[in-house]
Amino acid sequence: MDREADVVYRYDGSFEGFLCCVFESVYAHEIPFAILPHSSPMATLFPEKLIETDPAKARRVDASLPKKLGKGARSCVAHAFLSGSEEKELLILRFLRLGYRVGPGVMFMAGHKDVAPVLALEKAVCGEAHLLTGFVRFQDYGDFLGGTITPKHYVLPLLRLHFCQRLPSEDFILYDATHGAALLWQKGKASYAQLDEAPPFPEISREEAAYQELWKRFYKTIAIAARENPALRRSLCPKRYWVNMTELKEEL
Amino acid sequence: MDLMEKLTILADSAKYDVACTSSGVDRGGAAGSIGSAVAPGCCHTFSADGRCVSLLKVLLTNVCAYDCAYCVNRRSNDLPRAAFTPRELAELTIQFYRRNYIEGLFLSSAVLISPDHTTELMIKALELLRNEYHFRGYIHAKAIPGADPALIHRLGLLADRLSVNIELPSAASLGRLAPDKKKAAILAPMSQIARARDENRQELTVYRSAPKFAPAGQSTQMIVGATPETDRQILKLTEGLYQKYQLKRVFYSAYIPVAQDSRLPALNTPPPLLREHRLYQADWLLRFYDFSADEILDDASPNFDPFLDPKCNWAIQHLDQFPVDVNRADKTMLLRVPGIGPKSAGRIVRARRQGALGLEELRRMGVVLKRAQYFICCRGFSGAAGFGRRSIAAALVDSGVFAAGAQQLSLFAPEFAPMLTAGRPGLEAAKEEAVSWIEKRM
Repeated sequence: MDREADVVYRYDGSFEGFLCCVFESVYAHEIPFAILPHSSPMATLFPEKLIETDPAKARRVDASLPKKLGKGARSCVAHAFLSGSEEKELLILRFLRLGYRVGPGVMFMAGHKDVAPVLALEKAVCGEAHLLTGFVRFQDYGDFLGGTITPKHYVLPLLRLHFCQRLPSEDFILYDATHGAALLWQKGKASYAQLDEAPPFPEISREEAAYQELWKRFYKTIAIAARENPALRRSLCPKRYWVNMTELKEEL
Repeated sequence: MDLMEKLTILADSAKYDVACTSSGVDRGGAAGSIGSAVAPGCCHTFSADGRCVSLLKVLLTNVCAYDCAYCVNRRSNDLPRAAFTPRELAELTIQFYRRNYIEGLFLSSAVLISPDHTTELMIKALELLRNEYHFRGYIHAKAIPGADPALIHRLGLLADRLSVNIELPSAASLGRLAPDKKKAAILAPMSQIARARDENRQELTVYRSAPKFAPAGQSTQMIVGATPETDRQILKLTEGLYQKYQLKRVFYSAYIPVAQDSRLPALNTPPPLLREHRLYQADWLLRFYDFSADEILDDASPNFDPFLDPKCNWAIQHLDQFPVDVNRADKTMLLRVPGIGPKSAGRIVRARRQGALGLEELRRMGVVLKRAQYFICCRGFSGAAGFGRRSIAAALVDSGVFAAGAQQLSLFAPEFAPMLTAGRPGLEAAKEEAVSWIEKRM
């Protein structure tokens, strides 16, 4: 049995780095008190262990997931890791340690105290990504389309395939203001960029403004006044998304 | 007339069409084209009434040759009329789509000159979209009853989903309110589409690249509250439609008075939203919970209970079948437990192979124990003995009813309305009263 160790792991915040934390935990027979990225300002009283990111160790842990935990575990963990939650590392670690013990059945133990939280993380991440496939708004800047999102979780990797498939002949920039990252799609090639501030989008053209007006008018017209239901709208389309949505930002 | 004005008129005329779903078909993108479709569908925004906006929902024209009493676009109604050209509509769809406003197009139309003429115009617009703009997004098209079957077939090869509005729940009501439409004329394209889809499925097994006919299936909608049918009649009709025509969805639309007419409810009647909600709940029971219409409503009680959702209503009338042992019962029976849905039932069936489940596990799996606890037993919990019927009734009563306000309840149970208008103490009294009502029926 692993002991609950009074130690804090510090790692570089990458998925590879996290897999190395898993490696350390397994071979030190311990569950740390917390796992924090270098960027986290949180100070603790416990001694810290600096976990180096070693690609070889990361690969070994990565390869063990489908072998020991069955298929489905790898994508579940990868999705959960995109979460913006501060506890995600520890929750995923506990799930993996349980998985190594019980084997492939772990994916089905949805009611277990170490499994349910990871499934919940995955659900939150994939849920936000799904909402954003609909709620993203692009503006036409002439040479390219540009859009901004402010998600809780780092969902750009989950949006990539959707938008790149959908708009194969366009170029676009999708800027994630929360995480300072952007997805670029240029001439059929996708890439990510780290941006400290919003990309300098140019002024919109008159044509673009006209389409925005048409869309806003359509949006207002399609609602049935006799059925007005603001609570329902808020629950299906939470207000935190409105700031980036052409038709809703004025209602904030 | 400029585009803004046209869009306003033609979206306004289309807003009473219910379906705005973009589900049922998976189609990836392709080089040189625009668009894709995903089977679960995708909501792009939600309008002020809380309805999903997934498609650009417009009429091609609202100039109508018919005079259906319940319809805002009827010939005798004095309102501005407009028509898109196929080119305008295709261009607007693409421009909205590029900006990720929409998932595709929902194209319906009033009957301009004749059903055939209207359908030909719709085909022209869709051909532009599919063949010239190479649009691979979602298209939902209305088949106009009375149109030539050959035209409807062409429409089905361009659209993902076709729908034919059944309009009203009985032939008698149709005869009274929509003299230009006949039940047979509505059902004919429905069965044509069902047959064509069957044939298409066989073709596709032989030739993978055969053109697809309405791959996302067909749906229909009907207006409730404009005519005197009972909920049971409506639900039986729905069940028949699902079985006979393999419909993907039946939509209900609470009637909103759009005309002063002695055959219709008065103009100030509120739309029966609570009734519509109950119909959708029952519709879900038919499609995902393995219920039949006869189990949900019978001749003794042909209408829904205002305070209980149909599943809870079934459960309290069949207390002899509970408690259900969560660790043994088959999935059909799990689905009958209030508080367990298709997702949690699936999780239970998979998880119990790994070990017996207790209340804690069930809670983490998403089972709503507030309701389920009275109907189950599991590891460490041998059933909710000692609870009075009153506490069960209190757990099951649908509190949404009271949130919806006096107006909705007055359509169902008028004796409760005065309590609700009396403010907070009245609300508490009404809840108490509703609990007693349920308790008495148990």
